[in-house]
Amino acid sequence: MVFFALFGPLLPFEHWTFVYEDALGVTPFSPGHILGTDNNGYDLLSSVISGTRMSIFIAITAVGLGGLVGSALGITAAFVRGKIDLVLSTAFNVGLAIPNLVLALALVSVLATNVDMTNPVPIWRRVTVLVISLTIVLIPILGRIARGATLTWSGREFVTAARSMGMRDMQIIRKHIVPNVLPALIAVAFLAVGVVIIAEASLSLLGVGIPDGGSWGGMIARGRNDLEYSPHVLYIPVIFLAITVISTNQIGEVLRRKLDGREAKV
Amino acid sequence: MAGSGTAHMRNTVDSVLTVRDLTVEFRISKNKIVKAVSGLSFDVVKGETLAIVGESGCGKTTMARAILQLPPPNSGEVIFDGTDLTQLPKENLRSARTSMQMIFQDPISSLNPRLTVHQLIDEPLEIWDRGTRVERDERINKLLFSVGLEPDLVLNRRSYEFSGGQCQRISIARALALDPRMLICDEPVSALDVSIQAQILNLLLFMKETHGLTMLFISHDLAVVKAISTRVMVMYLGKICEVAPPDVLYTKPAHHYTRALLNSVPIPDPTKQIRTELLQGEPPSPMNPPSGCRFRTRCVGASALCAEQEPQLREISPGQFVACHHPIV
Repeated sequence: MVFFALFGPLLPFEHWTFVYEDALGVTPFSPGHILGTDNNGYDLLSSVISGTRMSIFIAITAVGLGGLVGSALGITAAFVRGKIDLVLSTAFNVGLAIPNLVLALALVSVLATNVDMTNPVPIWRRVTVLVISLTIVLIPILGRIARGATLTWSGREFVTAARSMGMRDMQIIRKHIVPNVLPALIAVAFLAVGVVIIAEASLSLLGVGIPDGGSWGGMIARGRNDLEYSPHVLYIPVIFLAITVISTNQIGEVLRRKLDGREAKV
Repeated sequence: MAGSGTAHMRNTVDSVLTVRDLTVEFRISKNKIVKAVSGLSFDVVKGETLAIVGESGCGKTTMARAILQLPPPNSGEVIFDGTDLTQLPKENLRSARTSMQMIFQDPISSLNPRLTVHQLIDEPLEIWDRGTRVERDERINKLLFSVGLEPDLVLNRRSYEFSGGQCQRISIARALALDPRMLICDEPVSALDVSIQAQILNLLLFMKETHGLTMLFISHDLAVVKAISTRVMVMYLGKICEVAPPDVLYTKPAHHYTRALLNSVPIPDPTKQIRTELLQGEPPSPMNPPSGCRFRTRCVGASALCAEQEPQLREISPGQFVACHHPIV
């Protein structure tokens, strides 16, 4: 998947919007189109590859941004405690109380739709808004994890010891809190990548994501209409989506174990 | 129990640490306040080892942390080397704290598992930028060697690869890195095996001699205290019961609580019969301490006077101070 995402444009395929007039709805494994084409004559392999780029780009950016902001807020909340903690964790809980998809849906439809149907919103703006709204959804999730982990670690005696040595708070956070909080965050972040890919697909399916099948979700949305005639148009992006989500979860798990191996022994 | 008893204060010029009327309170909910330490006063003279004993929850650790201003006490003075730490601005406090280092109860939790031994001991040196890289490395090696660890073998390992006793040695090396004048040991051996306890205690005593340290030694183990201290302070529910040199305290305790504590020390001889009765009940809640003497609810010698009036510390024999209306004679 990462290979597709990185080298997709270099592969010798026609752009996915290229219409093969002679091959409408060809089944997989037919000559020239390994994964077949859909009813509009788009080559599915090429579509899936460009969909990979879009989906993974959105997921990684959203998780990256959400992780940065979320962990900064979470660590601050747990380290400073008091009123700031109260405000931030209440905000996290409010954020968590709203169903993810509904929140993202609301944000996208407010920010990235145009009343004037003849003048659609440009695609870059849709992508940006999608990333931002998914980030906003992720902040409370990752923030809470960071807060919880910071609470356990900052209660350890080595933090008190560091203070008694005259370490400044920022140094303590950098040297003692962040390295210990990171494994938990990374594990959850990888899980979140999977969730975000699915969320993005769901949004596209609902028609507010990337339009016209530019991502996997968009492809699924398109394939849905032709389910009776050519089901593979739907299945192929779904299979890719499933494989990606499962593998990110696996990578997350392996990473967590690797980073946490020492802790497990204590 | 002493309220603001100060008879045991020596007020000499030699005192390294003077604590006056130290109070630490924790607010649990709107009108529930736990008085962990209430109006404690004592002083520690240079070169002395003041041991603080008392059962779990009597405020020993809270007091130690309040001395280091982690967190600061609610009221009272902590005068260390002539300066009142409670009044110092943050930045001055940061540097003042370096000459007073702490050793913690849990040796494993007091070392960050992600750092190597080298990084752990280098940490205080790095913060204060003591010397060049080479000088610092030399100092780390020296410190490790002095606590009985082979530098070449341990430098690149992390805390989880060591036993509790070894971790405590590393903690001691780290605490000594900044050349403190005072060491606050918060139950440094209670998490260790008896055989290791002796090693660590001997190491602490040796370090005290070689570095000219003054120590505050917190423990609930009277046998350990006997081995190490020059003066013992017995605490109960955030107040002082008795202050005395260990040999006096162990042979003729004056406070009923001290006697009960001594009676609870296991005797390593199965043929010896235990005659004395043990303390009944639990310590009362520090949220709502008894009136007068705080120990009266469990004391065998309690009278009506104990409920009305709080006993103050008074000297009943040279060097022995007790806060009790009816001391054991």
